[in-house]
Amino acid sequence: MVFQEQQPNFLRTGHAACAGCGLAAGMKLVFQAMGHKTIAVIVPSCEGSIGGVYPNTAYGVPTFHSAFEIAAPTAAGIANALKIQGKDEIQVVAFAGDGGTYDIGLAALSGVTKNNDDIIYVCLDNEAYMNTGIQVSSATPSYAWTGTTPEGNPRRKKNIMEIMAAHYNPYSATATIGFPRDLQQKIVKAKSIRGTKFIHLLVPCPTGWRTPSDLAPELSILAVETNVFPLYEVEDGRRYTLNHEPRSLPVQEYLLKQGRFKHLNEEQIRQVQMDVDEEWERLKQRAGRFASRK
Amino acid sequence: MKEFMTGNHAVAQAVKLCRTPLIAAYPITPQTPIYEKLSEWEATGVLKGIMMRTESEHSAMASCIAASLTGVRTFTATSSQGLALMHEMLHFAAGCRTPVVMANVNRIIAAPWGFWADHLDSLSQRDTGWIQFYCENGQEAMDSVIQAYKISEQVYLPAMVNLEAFLVSHFMEPVEIPDQDAVDHFLPPLDLPHKFDVEKPGFLMTVVSSELYRKYRHMAQVSMDSVKDVAVRVDREFKDVFGRGYGIVEPIAMEDAEVVIVTAGSITSTARLAIRSLREQGHSVGLLKIRLFRPFPNEALQQVLAGKKKIAVIDRNNSMGSGGIFCQELKAALVHSEDRPYIYNYIAGVGGTDVNPEVIQRIALDAMERSEPMDQPMWIMEE
Amino acid sequence: MNIHPDLLNELLIPISYGSTAVIETGKWGFQKPYTNFMTAPCQEACPAGINIPEFLYLTSEGREEEAFFSVLRENPLPGVCGRACFHPCEANCNRSQYDESVSIQALERYVSDRASIEIDQIQPIPCGESAKSIAVVGGGPSGLSCAYFLSILGHRVTLFEAKKELGGVLRWGIPEYRLPKSVLKREIRRILSLPIELKTGVAIGKDVPIEDLDRFDAIYLSPGAGLKVSLKIEGEAMKRVWKGGEFLERINSKEKIRLGKETLVIGGGNTAMDVARSALRLGSKVTIAYRRTRNEMPAIKDEIDEAEEEGMRFEFLVQPVKIRQGQKRRLAVTFQRMKLGGSDEGGRPRAIPIKGKFLTLETDDVITAVGEQVDLSWIPKGFVRGGLIGLNPSPKVFAGGDAVDQPRTIATAIASGKRAAMSMDISLRGDSEEAILSRIQVGNKGSLSMASYLSVREGETSAEPKGVATYQQMNPLYFAPSQRVKIRKRSRAKTLKNFSEVNMGLRADEARFSASRCFSCGTCNYCYNCYFFCPEGVVSLDPFSRTRTVDFSHCKGCGTCAKACPRAVVEMRITL
Repeated sequence: MVFQEQQPNFLRTGHAACAGCGLAAGMKLVFQAMGHKTIAVIVPSCEGSIGGVYPNTAYGVPTFHSAFEIAAPTAAGIANALKIQGKDEIQVVAFAGDGGTYDIGLAALSGVTKNNDDIIYVCLDNEAYMNTGIQVSSATPSYAWTGTTPEGNPRRKKNIMEIMAAHYNPYSATATIGFPRDLQQKIVKAKSIRGTKFIHLLVPCPTGWRTPSDLAPELSILAVETNVFPLYEVEDGRRYTLNHEPRSLPVQEYLLKQGRFKHLNEEQIRQVQMDVDEEWERLKQRAGRFASRK
Repeated sequence: MKEFMTGNHAVAQAVKLCRTPLIAAYPITPQTPIYEKLSEWEATGVLKGIMMRTESEHSAMASCIAASLTGVRTFTATSSQGLALMHEMLHFAAGCRTPVVMANVNRIIAAPWGFWADHLDSLSQRDTGWIQFYCENGQEAMDSVIQAYKISEQVYLPAMVNLEAFLVSHFMEPVEIPDQDAVDHFLPPLDLPHKFDVEKPGFLMTVVSSELYRKYRHMAQVSMDSVKDVAVRVDREFKDVFGRGYGIVEPIAMEDAEVVIVTAGSITSTARLAIRSLREQGHSVGLLKIRLFRPFPNEALQQVLAGKKKIAVIDRNNSMGSGGIFCQELKAALVHSEDRPYIYNYIAGVGGTDVNPEVIQRIALDAMERSEPMDQPMWIMEE
Repeated sequence: MNIHPDLLNELLIPISYGSTAVIETGKWGFQKPYTNFMTAPCQEACPAGINIPEFLYLTSEGREEEAFFSVLRENPLPGVCGRACFHPCEANCNRSQYDESVSIQALERYVSDRASIEIDQIQPIPCGESAKSIAVVGGGPSGLSCAYFLSILGHRVTLFEAKKELGGVLRWGIPEYRLPKSVLKREIRRILSLPIELKTGVAIGKDVPIEDLDRFDAIYLSPGAGLKVSLKIEGEAMKRVWKGGEFLERINSKEKIRLGKETLVIGGGNTAMDVARSALRLGSKVTIAYRRTRNEMPAIKDEIDEAEEEGMRFEFLVQPVKIRQGQKRRLAVTFQRMKLGGSDEGGRPRAIPIKGKFLTLETDDVITAVGEQVDLSWIPKGFVRGGLIGLNPSPKVFAGGDAVDQPRTIATAIASGKRAAMSMDISLRGDSEEAILSRIQVGNKGSLSMASYLSVREGETSAEPKGVATYQQMNPLYFAPSQRVKIRKRSRAKTLKNFSEVNMGLRADEARFSASRCFSCGTCNYCYNCYFFCPEGVVSLDPFSRTRTVDFSHCKGCGTCAKACPRAVVEMRITL
């Protein structure tokens, strides 16, 4: 599917994101693929903070700033109300951060997914509570420094895609801003499917990852090329498709560009590599093959 | 048409009559029969709409708020712990000015665990910006739900209709079911002015300055104040159409009363019997039922209590460190009364304990005998 | 439903309808992105100065006609160069340091073949009163190039060619299997669609005295190297000893030539290859004898490889000393054995004889291909220096091609014609050559850009970029490793039976893929990285008007666009 490159921007200029924000780039790309017949739900998080102060908004579609843990049921409420009103042409997208998804919003997301309410849920994963500073979440990767894990995060990142797949929802996909066409194609695909669609969108955070402000795309590409964050889709919780054949670079190429990992010793890097390799092998087995997109 | 039914089913009937298309709920005793009945009607198509079987009350309320902002009428029902879990969203619903209507079956709040009638669950939510009604029986619960929509959808504030666990929720009574056409006529479709509009995209609930926060809070307060008049008007219209009215407060045998018993909810029914026998014994005892708790009907109470010297408030709740909540509110309402009445507080029925006519008679006589004010509430503790 | 009177005039909840665009977040940053184009090394290496990144970008987008015009702006003979050029562009391609160089030559051929069927008319740019009349002597690639560019610049050109047909070495030297005559004809027809007066069969200095050209405002001399160089060894004049140039000319004139079972070709240049591969096609077994080794052969490497694939045999480190009659009417060629020694002035290892070591080979035919010379007998003595003509021997006389001191390749011949056309235009207009040439120079290897010249002539301030993009400046993360498309070739069984073209060129899908492999070093090819990755949404691109704009009032200066530009086109500059 060919998606026209230059689409109207529904994330307006003048928003308050940090310079080089991967999340803002991600939202911009998602909004473009959603189009103007969209109602967006955001929750307290960076996207809540960057969207502007009354009477101005950075969001070019109707947007509701709901509470932290309820992006999914809020979106589901809107979607069902639209269904009742026969407004099938309007789609609902929920944005929540990794904290709002992996942690405080997980039950609510699970509930909505179980019901298969017709929403697109985008987890803007910057791998920690960034809006409140930099605090560890269950999306924070192993050994990463955060303000609440000053010695490095002792636990591995939760596998949210497997949690979603366990709901047998029609569509879940990983995506990242480094592969913008892939991301937008996935949004377009999600729009064509009825039910709960989950997009796990990795959005590098220069502030929280302790990197220069110009590295977000490069890091998101390296995350994919090192297999730290493979690009894939899961349909109905069973059919796995890998969308990109990675270069399988060593994880150092990704880790050592980031201040949050700069304290890692060789043993820790080896452990990360082992974890990544193991996950990648498992994923490959599930996918069986690389499928080229039509 | 009259049918024999529980208070819970009377509430469900009201929701059906109001053609509420979006219901979001989560099971909790003793509310569950409302959820089940409405689910049954949704499944069989009797109720045209969507039942969102959410994973928590918190999400149920989130969905109701969101659907309301999309422009559809919404309903949920809960009780006790569920209501407490909703707390964050109760504030949100009011702040979003969404006319969500909820039935709350008043049940004790844990711990310790229990399932019986107690008003503390909903009274704890008195500051969340919800209109609150306390109902005496199933018929009133049904009628209050219908009225609540009509009020909420004029003032754009959510409304909670409270009925006590088992005593009302599970008690079977003959209930008059209003005619659907009459309800349709009484309750026009919802038209929310601030709903989502893709043709005029706006950001709802943006971050505001301190001054703006104050402004919107004040606006909501003005609307909440207006509920006292709107509720009276709606009740009158309801009576004109359906032949039943309740008022926001109901004075009974007040004219010559030396002591006025003040009640809310099902204790009122018992009190009606109690004062009849007290009157037969020659005691001038009156009864005042408070139906609308939020906004608190200060003016109506001041008016009906003018000239009264002794007031005995029976509270089926206790705010720890302070006492009965109805009593606190009433005292505040009468603080400038020229009559300077003595207001006695009796904590009775807490935890679902029985409040029978004898208890009420003893409360009335106790109040009558007293010649001094009593600062501390008196707990009615007999087995 | 009735709205309560208190609520009529006010929104119930805060709803923002305004845009954050009113907030000038651009003030947060102290640096802003600027576009900084650089010359691609391929373009610098191309003597004709073709804007290679541009034509590859257009090809990758399927905009083939535009791609063709982009090439034609700098090179009148893309169909020829797409087949017979020594393609230094590919040797200098930055991608060759990553995986494999881009198939630039095949793509030049592709756009030419695809589009030229439709496009056989070129419009000159009228220059009004400054139009002058100019004589071009010699209709080879250099003369054709000069006539083409002069004509485009609006001048009245008369083209003199001694032979009956135009093309020079392209017509008479390069065999059909490498450059089909139909392709050459098409190119010449397109050039002649310009208002060029053609005088074929007129040899200046023989049929017309050179003095007669004085009536022209300027003269371009581009006589080709037609004189055959002798080996100066015993037996060279024997029957069945051919001179390479003559041999090729006869083949290209469709004369019937019979060779014996075995042929020995002496030489290591492109003529030697052409001769040897033609001899194969005439059914002979061919051995090439060269005095250095394969690495030192001046011929295009692909030609050597293809010759080998076709069954060519080689004898290296041998230098002929004598040809005599052998047994059974065969020839016997005696060679001195050689070895490699220290480098000569050109940097190539010298071939040094090994004393007393000789080799004798028997063969049916011998073809020598050791170079050609320019016949300067008719050129005024004052123009000649060191056996060649000076670039600008008199104020109104210019020279180029084989007759001047430069490598003898098609591309350099075209380049010298182009340079001369510009020089003439500049001098006839009375402009300063130095000032202009420095602005239109493509990189640092002497190529010139006609596109830039035209805009400079129009008075625009634009100029060719100064820097040349290096591989180190590219961001390979944005390029997925890939292999060149293997060009399909006609099977050997077929090709060796006749002179049909060996290379079959790229298919449309192969061409788009091949073009998309271009790094577009230093030139924006609308990959959209800066557009996609900008968190602010302040970058706008228009691939059709070729513009890239940034809303500086909202650019926070994060530098993402510069960092994410795979080709180092975007550069952050401090703007305090």
